[in-house]
Amino acid sequence: MVASPGLAPERAIGGPAASAGSVGSSPMLQAHELTKRYGGLLALDRVSFELRPGEIVGYLGPNGSGKSTTVNLVVGLFEPSAGDLSLCGIRASEDPIAYKRRIGYVPEEPSLYAHLTASDYLMLVGRLRRMPSRTLRTRVRELLRLFQLHDSGYRSMTTFSKGMRQRVLVASALLHNPDLLVLDEPFSGLDVNAGLLLRTLLGILASQGRMIFFSTHRFDMVEKLCSRVIVLSSGRVVLERRVADFDREGPDSLEETFVRATQQPDFAPLARQIVDTIAGA
Amino acid sequence: MRDRPDIVLTRHFFTSLFDAGFLSDEGAESLKRALLGSLAVAIAAGLLLARVFRVKYLMLSAGPVDNYARELLADHAFLIAVPMWFVAGAVALVGHSLFPDERDFRILMAEPLSRLTIFAAKLASLLLFVGLFIAGTHVALLPLAALTMVGAAKTGSILTAAMALAVSSLSASLFAAFAVVAVHGLLVLFAPRERLLAFSGVVRGVLIGVLALSLPLIARLPATAVAFASDAWWLPWTPPAWFVGLERWLLGDGRRAALAAEAAIATVLVLIVSVASYLLLYRRFDRVMLQPASSQSRGGWSRSLDQWVGHAPVRHAIRRFVSITIRRSLLHQGLIVGLIAAAGGFVLNSLLSVNGWNEPLDTRGRSPLILTLLWAPMTMMFLAIPAIRLALSVPLDLRSNWVFRMTEDVAGRAEVAAATVRIVLTLGVAVPLALLGPVQWWVLGPSAAPIIALEALFGWLVVEWVMADWGRIPFTCSYIPGKGFVPHMFAKGFASYLVFTLGTTVILRVSLGRPRVVVVVALIVGVAAGTLSLRRTRHTPLTPLMFDDELPTDVNPLRLSAD
Repeated sequence: MVASPGLAPERAIGGPAASAGSVGSSPMLQAHELTKRYGGLLALDRVSFELRPGEIVGYLGPNGSGKSTTVNLVVGLFEPSAGDLSLCGIRASEDPIAYKRRIGYVPEEPSLYAHLTASDYLMLVGRLRRMPSRTLRTRVRELLRLFQLHDSGYRSMTTFSKGMRQRVLVASALLHNPDLLVLDEPFSGLDVNAGLLLRTLLGILASQGRMIFFSTHRFDMVEKLCSRVIVLSSGRVVLERRVADFDREGPDSLEETFVRATQQPDFAPLARQIVDTIAGA
Repeated sequence: MRDRPDIVLTRHFFTSLFDAGFLSDEGAESLKRALLGSLAVAIAAGLLLARVFRVKYLMLSAGPVDNYARELLADHAFLIAVPMWFVAGAVALVGHSLFPDERDFRILMAEPLSRLTIFAAKLASLLLFVGLFIAGTHVALLPLAALTMVGAAKTGSILTAAMALAVSSLSASLFAAFAVVAVHGLLVLFAPRERLLAFSGVVRGVLIGVLALSLPLIARLPATAVAFASDAWWLPWTPPAWFVGLERWLLGDGRRAALAAEAAIATVLVLIVSVASYLLLYRRFDRVMLQPASSQSRGGWSRSLDQWVGHAPVRHAIRRFVSITIRRSLLHQGLIVGLIAAAGGFVLNSLLSVNGWNEPLDTRGRSPLILTLLWAPMTMMFLAIPAIRLALSVPLDLRSNWVFRMTEDVAGRAEVAAATVRIVLTLGVAVPLALLGPVQWWVLGPSAAPIIALEALFGWLVVEWVMADWGRIPFTCSYIPGKGFVPHMFAKGFASYLVFTLGTTVILRVSLGRPRVVVVVALIVGVAAGTLSLRRTRHTPLTPLMFDDELPTDVNPLRLSAD
């Protein structure tokens, strides 16, 4: 299938091999020895991973571990100090525009131009991605309706809650039907219904062959949604495993393994101190 | 006492009046400090004004009473107009916060607060805000006011004269503040709720524009003594003159009763409208809940637009983004409207100063009127174009520019440049010509048409020159002010201004009434602008868009050593 110039191909990747929830055999996103330095600070140290069509990969790590840096490198907002990224054979360093065209991104903070209406914002993103006018208009209208933003869609987003802004960002990430969806804490601020919708949506998107790279702090979401998990600590990958290989409970659960892998301190004494403090007050 | 809900809420509303909607918490704090600092500057400026007027009043106090009385009216019009301008400007800038809005409705009505508390706090904060500016400007002008009273002993009691001036000036400032409140009140009550934001933006833009344009007129007030003496036709249309009338009427001058009546009626009217707006909104608080604009059915014109847009979607996206931002961002609207209006005010001042409006026009001779008329649009364009470039450089919410970073493509760079140049052409060339073209036509007749076309070409040339190195999407790139060597920039800018405006004025003067010259000049200027445009079109796709401003990389050595 040939894609239109600005638009990701309808189903160029995945195809029959990736249908019905199966994971494609050959990796389509490859991160090789990614390194990022900010001045003297080494934020990311030779991080490598791969994503195959139909995979949802959870990216876990404590604050400051380099998760957001990795996300910014993967979506092409930052250039790595060393290492390489390629998506569907396109190397980010060689053709960053074609590389970024295949990605949909939901940032951690709901950073969007709040003085626009949701409709204006989606139209802006669609036009920047060179979507045909008629398709864009129909898709924006439908996405606003499906994300339950239609009633507010023609009002400036300055009055939107965090959850509403998050829904606009998810809609804008899906607008051009991307091959790779990069989500940074996508459930943040979403209410129960919107969270369930997004979870189901991501499952269906993956079953159709899209790749989903999902940075989060939430173990429950990783367990329910992801096929594989990568754990980062101090800028290095310290664990990479299939989610099915973790126990539900016990010492080999995802949470316990994460605590061990990232060498988290025992929080019980700290929690007790807090309780003692407020009880004393 | 300090923790009472009404006090807390008043303090909150008062503080939020200083947050223009685009400032961070730190920015709002720094703005407050800057405002307090500006009060000190205003006092210094007031002292400077007093020094400027000192010689005049020393002479007047030694001269005949009639001269003093005549000059006094014009100077008091100035003394009354300056606080009016500042107070109206401050209230116009906080137009978005004059009435309880949807956010207040959603957040505060959910708290254990009565509607009366919310409205009373809002009104109290507004009165405090207005009072602060009225007090500040009047304190700053106190030395000048005292100076004008030097000769008052000759005409009556100094105390009575001072009281009359104080009452008139304070009423005038109240009128100015509540005129803006009344306009916004009518807007909140009567504008369709789905269009309230758009209407509010337009009203704010118009108010800022009118205020900026009125500055040169205010500066001319001290020179209008003759107009006051002869009861000029424009006095009943000039608010400061109404309040001078009120002052004179308070001092027993029956000749100014009509002006005094205008002042009283206008003040009472705006107060009634403001209070009524508050009361009506109090009864119908749900009116502040905005309604979504319906997604109107799209007609044939819209489909044609889409077809056209289909060829350049990025250009269309950028133009729409810029147009919405200018309408909704107070900072950018204020910058663009204010800068264009300031350029317009400069030109208006020159046009008002030139003689010859009432004389038969000599198109062959060196009529100062014709020269000024030809100079005016060139000056306005020369000042407006870089100002608009500057306004487009000022960023808005930099964290959100990732969407532009992610969607950048090679063809899009050229479309971005084309869209930005089109915006600058519209605001920096079309607007000045739309304002001054009719005046030129009125004075010069049909021979103005080719001249206006030439002016448009010169404007295009300046736009292409100024935008040659523009490699960014408006409002999306960080901005480092004062990157160059400021004195050098000023000197260069001033020299360019002189060369451009004098040169083009001479060329336009020579072209007036000479079609062949017009064609030759048009060809030369058009080819030059077209060449720059072509160069830009070829160059921009090769250069990635800028999202982070950079300091100049070329070092300018001081060359202190002999070699």
